[in-house]
Amino acid sequence: MSDLLIALATLPLWASLGCLLWPRLADLLSPLVALALVGCSLLLLDAIAATPVILHHLGGWGGDLGISLRADALSALLLALGTVVTLAATLFARRYFTDDQVRYRFWPLWWLLNGAINALLLSADLFNLYVTLELLGLSAAALCTLGKDKPQALRAALRYLLLGLIGSLLYLTGVALVYAEYGTLAIPSLAQQIQASPASLTALLLLSSGLLIKCALLPLHIWLPAAHSSAPAPVSAVLSALVVKVTFYLLLRLWFELFTAVITPAFATLIGTMGATAVIWGSWRALMSTRLKLMAAYSTVSQMGYLFLFVPILLALPDHDSRALAFGALVLFALNHGIAKAALFLAIGIIQQRLGHDQVDRINGVARQLPVTLFAVALAGSALVGLPPSGAFLAKWTLISASLVTAQWWWLLVAVIGTLLAAAYLVRVLGAAFAPAEPPPPTGKQLLSGELPALLLAAMATLGLGLGAAPIWSLLAPTGLGNIL
Amino acid sequence: MSWMLIDLTLCISLLILAVAALYARGLQQRVVFFIAFGLLCAIAWARLNAPDLALAEAAIGAGLTGALLLSALNDETDPQPPLTQPRLGRLLTTAITALLTLALCAAVVTLFPLHEGIAIQQLQQQMPHAGVVHPVTAVLLNFRAWDTLLELAVLLCAALTVLNLAPARPVTAHDSPLTGMLTRILLPLLTVTAGYLLWTGAHAPGGAFQAGAVLAAATVVLRLNNNPGFTHLRVGALRALLALGLLLFLGVGLLQTVLGGAFLQYPPSTAGFLILLIEAGAMLSIACMLSLVYLGGHLHPHWPCHAPSNGVDTWKRHS
Repeated sequence: MSDLLIALATLPLWASLGCLLWPRLADLLSPLVALALVGCSLLLLDAIAATPVILHHLGGWGGDLGISLRADALSALLLALGTVVTLAATLFARRYFTDDQVRYRFWPLWWLLNGAINALLLSADLFNLYVTLELLGLSAAALCTLGKDKPQALRAALRYLLLGLIGSLLYLTGVALVYAEYGTLAIPSLAQQIQASPASLTALLLLSSGLLIKCALLPLHIWLPAAHSSAPAPVSAVLSALVVKVTFYLLLRLWFELFTAVITPAFATLIGTMGATAVIWGSWRALMSTRLKLMAAYSTVSQMGYLFLFVPILLALPDHDSRALAFGALVLFALNHGIAKAALFLAIGIIQQRLGHDQVDRINGVARQLPVTLFAVALAGSALVGLPPSGAFLAKWTLISASLVTAQWWWLLVAVIGTLLAAAYLVRVLGAAFAPAEPPPPTGKQLLSGELPALLLAAMATLGLGLGAAPIWSLLAPTGLGNIL
Repeated sequence: MSWMLIDLTLCISLLILAVAALYARGLQQRVVFFIAFGLLCAIAWARLNAPDLALAEAAIGAGLTGALLLSALNDETDPQPPLTQPRLGRLLTTAITALLTLALCAAVVTLFPLHEGIAIQQLQQQMPHAGVVHPVTAVLLNFRAWDTLLELAVLLCAALTVLNLAPARPVTAHDSPLTGMLTRILLPLLTVTAGYLLWTGAHAPGGAFQAGAVLAAATVVLRLNNNPGFTHLRVGALRALLALGLLLFLGVGLLQTVLGGAFLQYPPSTAGFLILLIEAGAMLSIACMLSLVYLGGHLHPHWPCHAPSNGVDTWKRHS
């Protein structure tokens, strides 16, 4: 079983080297690797159902000396999300980059980014996580530079890189403090040692603020809209669906597994408030934005906000069962957003390529030109809004009822306003796309295989996740999340 | 007593140089102050009994970064950005940094007296099985080899990005600042030093990163002597050179996995040899990556691949 962990962690690196050494084979190699990774992650989910935690001691050392790879239900679910989104985006990217030379540059970096995501999700070592964050930030910024509009993409990528570096340095300082106090970097043994102390509190604040920058929680989101909207479509999909999500995953580990003794309700309320502002401000800016990609990027800011709303609620819930329920909803929401947002970005990529622009007020007639893609936009949009039967519907329902149980009704208000705004920006886009164009645009043929990845992802978010959500809870139940669940 | 005086002088000079590097009048002065800061930093690491870090800081922090900054300064194609920042932004940065520093100091003070952690104890127990005598190399290449492997991937990513972004423009010949005579002396010296650092890493400070940085310094010397850098290398060979380090590392890592062991586990009898092998590959790749980063604007005309028909034309169009 630990072979699965090794495969998930190293296969992307092999793929990157393969694509670097034999560029002309990369178009063939990449889908195969992506498919193999999906297979591995599904097998891992299966294995997790039998044994809740799988450990692999790299180099055979283990303990506090070496680095261990670890998978539990949470990381296995996010790995499955990552590999599925990567497969769809990989298939999409083969057709999206029409210029050979751009594609040859794209593949090695693409697999490095994927390797960073998998390594981060599997790592059980604070310093190793720092290295994966570095690889994640650098490869993500590098992929942003492949955008069409060179000067703008470069500026956005540079800002992304620099803010990411500040985040990494804050994180590293926190790691140094933790190591100085407890003498180890292994997460399983730290989880049993960390106590409330001035140094631990400082470390928590440093680690959290570093990761919050990478997570783009308002007001640290300034880099996100530009970077996510100027990157090529498959890159935007992975940035929004996975890259911000895995840093959120790391925050969850820190708050609920490592620093449970240090974290206070006041801290959780602060995080929740920032999340609430992000929900409303992000949705508002998404509604006001004039470009489709910018709308999707601001929607990511707001959807990430929802995830942070769960934090104060999780901490206030009284008993194990209700926490497990809310935690399952949180994971479901993250999976739902990952898949739906990837679908949305891929679909927007097709629209942008067809029309040559992505201005919201000039897309009238698109519904006639690209019916399949527009269907994907509508499906993905309804999953983002949280219409039944999408996963977000279940998750928001649980969020709202939990906020009432814990007598924190104000989070309900935020969720409702955010949902209404999300519905508004979705309807605005659909309305514009269905508006008749004068003169009617040519209904040229669009290859279905190009539109298929977005459509399948969108369908998976609306139908698959909503109707098949029960296994997520049962999978998460045995381990939950470390100390408090 | 005398050491304390030296340390105090070192600390004060570091602070002064840091301020000077941030606030000196021209960019040129700032870069020079930055290089001096890096050199003193290296001495500070040496005083803190971290000679490995001192070597890395001198070679990469002061040396290559300094050379990179200086060559960026000399690039006339870029207009120099204005040096003044908005006053509010500067005040805000200062305030946040000051707050952070104070909080850090307060937190660190509570940590004393420091005790040896459990990781260090386990390190001392396991050193006999590490395959090398030098503990830093043992940690980097054996106990925590996964970190180093991923760091190589980070470097590869940086080098690929530089190659992707660099406009392929021909090398402009300029007056050679280094005479051929000096180069003839420096090149063999640097090469031998790199080999020595690589070999000595097993039992003393040194290793792939330092050796690679010294080797990269050799290419900087070549470049200053008007050598065209990597443009003469076939693009396939360049790609192979970049991939070599990571490829060897991953390959060696899988050796034992096939026999049922863990990933990155070395058989104890050959651990020393395998570590040297990985480091040799890593040194070549690191040297290649670092010099690519330094060369910056004049990279390979055919990156990433020979275009099927009009490769030469693209090259000319860009230049």
